[in-house]
Amino acid sequence: MTADLSVELGNARLRGPVLAASGTFGYGTEVPLLERRALGAMVSKGIFLRPRAGTPPPRIVETPSGMLNAIGLQGPGVDALIRDYAPQWAQWDFPVLVNINGESATEYGDLAARLDGVPGVAGFEINISCPNVEQGGLYFGNDPRASAAVTEAVRKRTTLPVWVKLTPMVTDIGVIARACEGAGADALCAVNTFVGMSIDLNALQPRLSFRTGGLSGPAIRPLAVHLAHQAARAVTIPVIGIGGITCAEDALEFLVAGCAAVQVGTATFVNPRAIADVHDGIAGYMASHGFDSLADLPRYLPRD
Amino acid sequence: MFLLDSPLVARREVARGMFVLSMDAPEIAKSVRAGQFVNLGWSPGPLLRRPFSVYRVEGDRIEVILKAVGVGTAQLLAMMPKDTLSCLGPLGHGFEFPAGLKSAALVSGGLGVAPMPLAARDGRAAGMDVTWVHGARTADELCSEADGDAVIWATDDGSRGFAGTAVAAMPDADLVLACGPNRMLSAVAARRPDAQVAVETYMGCGTGVCLGCAVPLVRGGYDRACKEGPVYRAGDIEWSRLPAHLPYALSA
Repeated sequence: MTADLSVELGNARLRGPVLAASGTFGYGTEVPLLERRALGAMVSKGIFLRPRAGTPPPRIVETPSGMLNAIGLQGPGVDALIRDYAPQWAQWDFPVLVNINGESATEYGDLAARLDGVPGVAGFEINISCPNVEQGGLYFGNDPRASAAVTEAVRKRTTLPVWVKLTPMVTDIGVIARACEGAGADALCAVNTFVGMSIDLNALQPRLSFRTGGLSGPAIRPLAVHLAHQAARAVTIPVIGIGGITCAEDALEFLVAGCAAVQVGTATFVNPRAIADVHDGIAGYMASHGFDSLADLPRYLPRD
Repeated sequence: MFLLDSPLVARREVARGMFVLSMDAPEIAKSVRAGQFVNLGWSPGPLLRRPFSVYRVEGDRIEVILKAVGVGTAQLLAMMPKDTLSCLGPLGHGFEFPAGLKSAALVSGGLGVAPMPLAARDGRAAGMDVTWVHGARTADELCSEADGDAVIWATDDGSRGFAGTAVAAMPDADLVLACGPNRMLSAVAARRPDAQVAVETYMGCGTGVCLGCAVPLVRGGYDRACKEGPVYRAGDIEWSRLPAHLPYALSA
């Protein structure tokens, strides 16, 4: 018998637990060899209200078992997203959430309001790893009050699912997780990339033009499993695990550590079939271990 | 676009430290155009695939050309026939061969020779007389395989052919196609802004989704070497903002 891999994520029901992570799938329209059947949902490339050019090259550099990226949230702005991509999403058989970004809590709220009700937009993932221009460039995601303010600004403007993507660059992820839960988030995504740096020893300067970049890939997986677990222990809303997943076993680590679903990102760059491979591998594991549904999978989630 | 398991078939040295790898990739061999590339992965290997222009096509086989410039390429050169590569391609937008032109100059520096055999094939098919211009620092770094109705060699030290760069040796032609280090291509752009050049960037996915291979444009903004490129009109690129040389010493 085939196990039931559907998941409840607050007010969203997904047919599978494997989601495409923001920034690794574009707007879903150019993904090669896409196997839609395996996709629980897709999170779009991050968008701002206005178009953004992004950072100069070099934007990426490979590191041991990982990569640093500093793309700079290049994107066409919300109007182009609504015009060019949302109509296509409306035809698809899996939900598309939009990863939203802003320089102030108000801007996040305005973006959510602009997208709420647009056919094809099924919900929001808030990227709180943006600098808060009104507070001297401090990152929203490093401050529980700013994280809550952004979450609340979006929550007030939509009834669609609101997820918050947490940054790992914090002292206690549980504090931020609880702040977002309290402000009305339906689910949390843990975690975004780690900030890293790589030096070119010939040029004697950083390899990335932006100096620093976000580290992703298998290098961060144990760190991410731990942080997702810590977030899951801190809240009662679902947590979606992210960080270096390349195969079903990686995804199952996040699920057993307390996550309700997972996102696959960097692995898609390497293996265009990564999401399908992870999905099918989870199904195989469930069948061979006699679990009828993901809800039956025991979670290691001791409460304090 | 195809994702194939491609057995390595053969390897040959075409210049000091420069090798051609041949692999079975029938679907790609049938459809690849000059200037397009494949993104190669292998196991165990580095995390990211490595992009290579398709050098030549022989029946069901494609060839790529490389030097050991980092850990990944060193691993590739250590592989043996029958080892399998994961081959994603053909990728990118290749050279255009407008109808009605009489002559083409294919200008390459070092590993920039990579897309030129297919360019010679497609240029000839479009009715053009092809001049092959290939340069390197010194004679034993020149790729020994040339394919043109006329061939011009250029070496920086004058040890073979023209003493100077391939760009300096470039003849007049209706169509100029160039590939090599970005600083060489910017010299091509200064002389022939209408030239088509294949640029070199780091790549993440190779398929247009990661936006890692940004190429700065004169009209502002960036596009993707893997999708709109790697071939551009030389005058369209903002050369001062494209890294002139890529440090390959990846630690992965």
